[in-house]
Amino acid sequence: MEDRLYLPEVSHLMRTTFATLPRWWITAAALTVTAVLLSPFYWVLVGSFMTPAELFGGQMSLWPKHFAVENWSVAFSRLWPHIQNSLFVSAVASIGTLLITAPAAYGLVWRKPRGRQTLFAFTLMTQMLPAIVFVIPLFIVFTKINLVNTLYGLILADMTFTIPFALIMLSAYMKDLPYELVEAALVDGAGQLRAFLMIVLPMTLPGLITVGVFSFLIPWGDLIFALSLITDDSLQPLTLQLYKAFGQYGIDWGFLLPGSVLTAVPAVIFVIAASRFIVAGVTRGAIK
Amino acid sequence: MRANAKTPASKDTKAVVAERPRPTARKARFDTSPYLFILPFFLFCLLLMLYPVVYSLTLSFREATVDTFVSGDMPFNGLTQYQAAVVDPVFWRAVVNTVLFAFFSILFQFTIGFVLALLFQLNFPLKNFCLAVLLIPWVLPVLTAANIFKGLFNDVGPINQIMHLVGLGPFPWLADPSYAFPATIVANIWIGFPFNFILLYAGMRSIPVEVYEAAKIDGANSWKRMVHITLPMLKPVSAAVLMLGTIYTVKVFDLVWIMTGGGPANGTHLLSTYAYQVGFSLLNFGEAAAIATLMVLLVLLLNLVQMVLQRK
Repeated sequence: MEDRLYLPEVSHLMRTTFATLPRWWITAAALTVTAVLLSPFYWVLVGSFMTPAELFGGQMSLWPKHFAVENWSVAFSRLWPHIQNSLFVSAVASIGTLLITAPAAYGLVWRKPRGRQTLFAFTLMTQMLPAIVFVIPLFIVFTKINLVNTLYGLILADMTFTIPFALIMLSAYMKDLPYELVEAALVDGAGQLRAFLMIVLPMTLPGLITVGVFSFLIPWGDLIFALSLITDDSLQPLTLQLYKAFGQYGIDWGFLLPGSVLTAVPAVIFVIAASRFIVAGVTRGAIK
Repeated sequence: MRANAKTPASKDTKAVVAERPRPTARKARFDTSPYLFILPFFLFCLLLMLYPVVYSLTLSFREATVDTFVSGDMPFNGLTQYQAAVVDPVFWRAVVNTVLFAFFSILFQFTIGFVLALLFQLNFPLKNFCLAVLLIPWVLPVLTAANIFKGLFNDVGPINQIMHLVGLGPFPWLADPSYAFPATIVANIWIGFPFNFILLYAGMRSIPVEVYEAAKIDGANSWKRMVHITLPMLKPVSAAVLMLGTIYTVKVFDLVWIMTGGGPANGTHLLSTYAYQVGFSLLNFGEAAAIATLMVLLVLLLNLVQMVLQRK
């Protein structure tokens, strides 16, 4: 499928309409559209280097007059402990999600345990539920068992987002698994676990990576669970710390904008590095 | 939709199973391994998903405020929470806002996504680059997007600066609910259009080229090909996109909570932000759970309406 996407002859849909236009002309149009649609992102990038006076000084400025690098150094040093919290929470949640959903997706798709349809339907159903349905009970229960104000509590809460999502996406990948290979290994005397580790996991590696990254990014960007479960300042993840930054003494844009860009770093790296896989992965999960 | 190369139930898999010699000649035992594979997932679902959902539902029939929460007994009081919710005008404001927010978000996300998907059916230099960076708004943490638009809609921010250049404004974007609410929709459109774009893009790609070629030979012009091939063949994908869009949009919380907090004057509340405020600012968990239940009903209702409309 990847190769097919870039063959010239598949673009029949509009080709004849614009057949007379040279290709660079289309590129110019596409770049213009892209630039307009991404201008808010451009604003936060350059704005993070501007002083508040320049940012909201009444005159539009498209490029910093002088780069206020101190915005960034101050924001980074103030946010570093919280970046560490976010890294820890997201990494553990992502690994935990894969450990739980990879065997489950394989088991549900190929080993056919009884009740799998019910379990799968339940998983799909949870995608429709708003976060508040989980937030209130988890807050009450975690208060009782002393998981409030711990990073582990936050990780478990975040996993209620990542686990159903990961299972749905991984199941789509598992369906493409050539099961004959697993059966051949079983015939050759490999145990179920061994067949899973040595054949299923390597063969679904692209799916595991995509799902693992998404399961990292979801907790990384989460606000609602952090907001309700973490009050201790030293435990706050990046998003919560930035959310708390406004309100007290007005908005410190010189801190907020670099902080917002910092929060976006993992996602932007990911999208630039793997846009093709994202397109393929999301399409699979959603359409199949 | 698309012919799967191999599904779990496909014929050749079964054939392989049948021909394969049994590894053990002993009589078939109950195979526990499928259950071991799904056990951790099953336990997680039970304890951290099903239990909270049921808890939330029962909580909506209990008096769960600070007092009863501390003392530990949260007595049943029937539909009191639901009554309290539906007599509050802010609740109805939030219902209307949620529906409008979803409708306008999806309308524009879909339109922008559709036009982009058409444009990207063409091949041109730098296409892959454009495609990759256009995904950025969708993968950004919502907090980043919310802060961006909080800045853009600032009283003296870029949007008012541009308005000033063409002789309009200044508009009190985030200070007046009738401006703040559209502002949150604009921000949400920006977050969501790439998702619509990539799904529709992939959907258009999956329409076989031969269909277009045949139509062209039969003399169909590009407009006719669009109306009679692209749109009908894209229907299943569009339906999926719209359904997922509805589900995601009704769930939006962070964006509005960060941009406006539901204010000013409770004018931009969605059901999600309103339920959160009732729960965590007013500390009435019972009523918040009741609002959450009503919200789930709203999602179901909206999806039902959509399915009926698409059936036509």
